[in-house]
Amino acid sequence: MIFQKKSSHISVENDLAELEANSSRTVDDVETVVGPSVNVEGDFASEGNIIVKGSVAGSVRTSKHLSVEQGARIIANVRAGSAQVAGEVRGNMKIKDVLELTSTARIVGDVEVKTIIIEAGALVFGKFMMPGIEGTEKSGRTLKNGQTKKAEAEESPVQ
Amino acid sequence: MYVYLYDNFVRDKKHSSALKALEISLTDYGIAGKTIRLNNYSDAKSIIYDEIKRGATTVVMVGNDKTFGQVLSGSATAACLFGFLPIGPGNTIAEVLGIPVGPEATTVLSRRRKERLDVGVMNNRYFISQLHVFPSRVEVFYDERLKVSATDKMEVIVCNLQPFYWQRNKKDIQPHIVHPQDGKLEAFLRPLTKRHWFGYTYEEPSIFPFETMEIRGLEPFAVEADGRLTKEIRLKISLARHKVEMIVGRDRKF
Repeated sequence: MIFQKKSSHISVENDLAELEANSSRTVDDVETVVGPSVNVEGDFASEGNIIVKGSVAGSVRTSKHLSVEQGARIIANVRAGSAQVAGEVRGNMKIKDVLELTSTARIVGDVEVKTIIIEAGALVFGKFMMPGIEGTEKSGRTLKNGQTKKAEAEESPVQ
Repeated sequence: MYVYLYDNFVRDKKHSSALKALEISLTDYGIAGKTIRLNNYSDAKSIIYDEIKRGATTVVMVGNDKTFGQVLSGSATAACLFGFLPIGPGNTIAEVLGIPVGPEATTVLSRRRKERLDVGVMNNRYFISQLHVFPSRVEVFYDERLKVSATDKMEVIVCNLQPFYWQRNKKDIQPHIVHPQDGKLEAFLRPLTKRHWFGYTYEEPSIFPFETMEIRGLEPFAVEADGRLTKEIRLKISLARHKVEMIVGRDRKF
């Protein structure tokens, strides 16, 4: 019994330590946070991660991660290294790496992104542009041209 | 030559044993010097400048965060090396500087690892630890291109060296800690919302690192910087880089 009690005590302590570590990490890693019921207007640029829980109007720029939480609203053009959207974005988005849209995401605007993850329920009104597709389109055109040239070449000696 | 500035509260009987251990350790290291006891009416700035004229090269503050702020906010421009020996409760800056509380701090002092610290400037006045704007109707402008506002009152805390502790609500057992970064000031904005018939509740804080900031009040607001309370309508805050030369520990957080 004594050992059982001790073990439970230790586990609780471990859990608390883990929680503390997690909480400090999550807060310390983040550099800029726009809290709920805060309105930001203007050119919002940061070199670190941005978490938006309130509303932002103007433009948003970061070279790192942008997280738009549920209930947050961005009325601006967005440029970011990577992004996770659970709120509303009205404006064009240009994401360098990965864009993740959760089920509560609402996007009105064109999106330029390298990789996209969309959860069922996310709403998008706009155009998606992905650099990978452009490359295949070009190669497709060259292939078609190549085929036509070959066909012409085959036809000509017969004639 | 070392000069030690003892805060008034250090006289208290409960700190006498810790102080004795500290003094013994200082003598052992051979860095004991002149001791001056500060009281409520003494001006730390004039004392430090007088001691520098008499040949003091290192000024060591003995006390807590309040002592640190009070002494350094007035004499940040003094041409001497500063040291800090934390005693008693309320020592959060010491942790940031990597100085342990108690007689072990003398080891850090004897090693003389020097570092130049940034200092906050508010309306042509220095602040070292923290600046606190009490909840009022204010608008915040960052680097003249970003405006932050709230629907109702807002509390602003600007941290230079002192970490920012906050709780989501009264039931939140673990306070969240944010350590300020070097090279930038950090502003924590906590809007207040009216949820009931009377009283306000705090929202989650917004965090903005910045170099220059202006707080404009729709009405005069109270500001506390390093324990000094003033009333302002417009407040310009910026960062003065590498202003204070200070002895720091190896485990410092910057």
